[in-house]
Amino acid sequence: MRVALLTLIGLALFPFFFHAIDGYAGLATQIVIVSIASIGFNFLLGYTGLLSYGHAMFYGSGGYVAALMLIRVMPQHPNLWLAVIGGTLAATALALLVGALAVRLYGIYFALLTLAFAQMIFFVVEQSQDWTNGDDGLQNFPTALLPVGPYTIDLGTPLPALALGPFGNLSDIKLWYVFAAVALLGVILGMRALTRSQFGEVLTAIRENEERSSLIGFNAAAYRLAAFAISGALTGLSGALRALYDGTVAVDAVGIDRSGSFVIYTIVGGVQTLFGPVIGTGLIMYLEAVLSAQISYWRLIEGVIFVAVIIFLPAGIVGTLTRKAAERARQRRALLAESLRARTGGPT
Amino acid sequence: MILETKGLGKSFGRFAANADIDFSVAQGELRAVIGPNGAGKTTFFNMLSGTTEATSGTIFFKGNDVTKLSGTRRVHIGIAKAFQTANIYPEQTVRQNCRLAALAHKQGAFALEIVRRSERLADVDTLAERAIEQLELTNVADVRSGDLAHGDKKRLDIAIALATQPEILLLDEPVAGMSRDEARKTEALVRKLASSMTVLIIEHDMDLIMGISDSITVLESGRVLANGTPAEIRANQRVQDAYLGGHSEAEMGA
Repeated sequence: MRVALLTLIGLALFPFFFHAIDGYAGLATQIVIVSIASIGFNFLLGYTGLLSYGHAMFYGSGGYVAALMLIRVMPQHPNLWLAVIGGTLAATALALLVGALAVRLYGIYFALLTLAFAQMIFFVVEQSQDWTNGDDGLQNFPTALLPVGPYTIDLGTPLPALALGPFGNLSDIKLWYVFAAVALLGVILGMRALTRSQFGEVLTAIRENEERSSLIGFNAAAYRLAAFAISGALTGLSGALRALYDGTVAVDAVGIDRSGSFVIYTIVGGVQTLFGPVIGTGLIMYLEAVLSAQISYWRLIEGVIFVAVIIFLPAGIVGTLTRKAAERARQRRALLAESLRARTGGPT
Repeated sequence: MILETKGLGKSFGRFAANADIDFSVAQGELRAVIGPNGAGKTTFFNMLSGTTEATSGTIFFKGNDVTKLSGTRRVHIGIAKAFQTANIYPEQTVRQNCRLAALAHKQGAFALEIVRRSERLADVDTLAERAIEQLELTNVADVRSGDLAHGDKKRLDIAIALATQPEILLLDEPVAGMSRDEARKTEALVRKLASSMTVLIIEHDMDLIMGISDSITVLESGRVLANGTPAEIRANQRVQDAYLGGHSEAEMGA
């Protein structure tokens, strides 16, 4: 409950920090959407130890399939639910297919195989002119509407006008942000339940000792495949939302830079933490948006940040903070126990 | 017969680690498998537990051919193994180690239980506690298992195997590396376990083998050299010859 409430407050306040920097009204929404992919990536890396260097194939397929559904399947009645579900399912199916081959490999071999698959998908997308419009990507597809009960909502609608002083106006924010924030909140809470479930418990066991896990009766490959599919599904969901929000999807969504970005966001924020991927995504995307407009060597700065985190904060930002807090709590408890013993004259 | 092999063999290239092994264990029996170093005992065990694939022959468990079953599937039909080097989850407590094994038994090889927590499964705790008690690990149940003493780690490995609720338990050198006292304690525990299930044991400690086994199978160069009661094996000239150089008759416990 506490986690849910704090996340809700954080998400509600988040976009107002962006008012100070002009021209980034949409960035908050994009960060919230992409965070879902980072959470998916982190689930795979953190709970199975598998580092995928091809997650853009799920992100991109989610985006392209959602867009294609609007263009080809339901141009007259563009339904956002269906487009998102379609994109997510397509990414999940792809993950099951790739995973069936990849989850028996480990370490660098797994990373290379996922990279190879992603490059194949990239090639297919780039070459399928008729469907994907090649390098230019898909644009101007019908605006997807969100039917909720008797209403049909256009997520492009701004919130009601309400002056907020230095934080601008409530109407700066569109319904899209609310929708994406609710989706992220759901994903965070779902991930928390997932990692504490039997499934998460078994994944942790397999990661710690696969040989023993197999010989107490867990099918390790099946668990890794399921984890890979869940990870791919979340990344596909993110890709679909992003394409619909941006109103465009292009080949960079399936590119190697995109795959690398999930690695960077997650490691900077903190692997195996609930909020690390969100913090990492927010920080790097924010810096990128602010700096890349003014500095031509943004990529260099990004690289320096990545290297600095790996060297100085190997557990990532959130991971390091959590560890420090746990350490302090332990010391406090030890001190308390010490003083209690001194006072009661008990054994030391 | 609960477990049987016919013509079982394992070759690595031209080298036959095991060949033509005809072997059978009756329900409830405590059988030892002994033999000089390199006799192929561990290979034989690995084929029984399913971690090594046989290159020839057949394995029957309760009359069914299980030769092609994976190690994971074999756990679920009732074959469990404790390793020569304690194979545990060092980061987890003793209790959690046993809970995982009990969880595997309850839910099967794979279950997409992405919401329900294992704490909800009362049986898991019951089965884990029972295994902990049977191996006398109750007073270290909440210790991180990587911090246990050597003997306790080995006993935990057996407790993990036990928590999967096997009908036959394979113990690969359960007292290896233990002090005399620890070894005697473990021996008493194994003897107690054997009263309620079938136990197959590889061991170099001849006092232990001669003391607790119902019957003994001797392997040499990957083949069965002899089968018999401890007394028969002790008196067997071929067995004594096989052990000469490595072991004297005195070491055979005679």
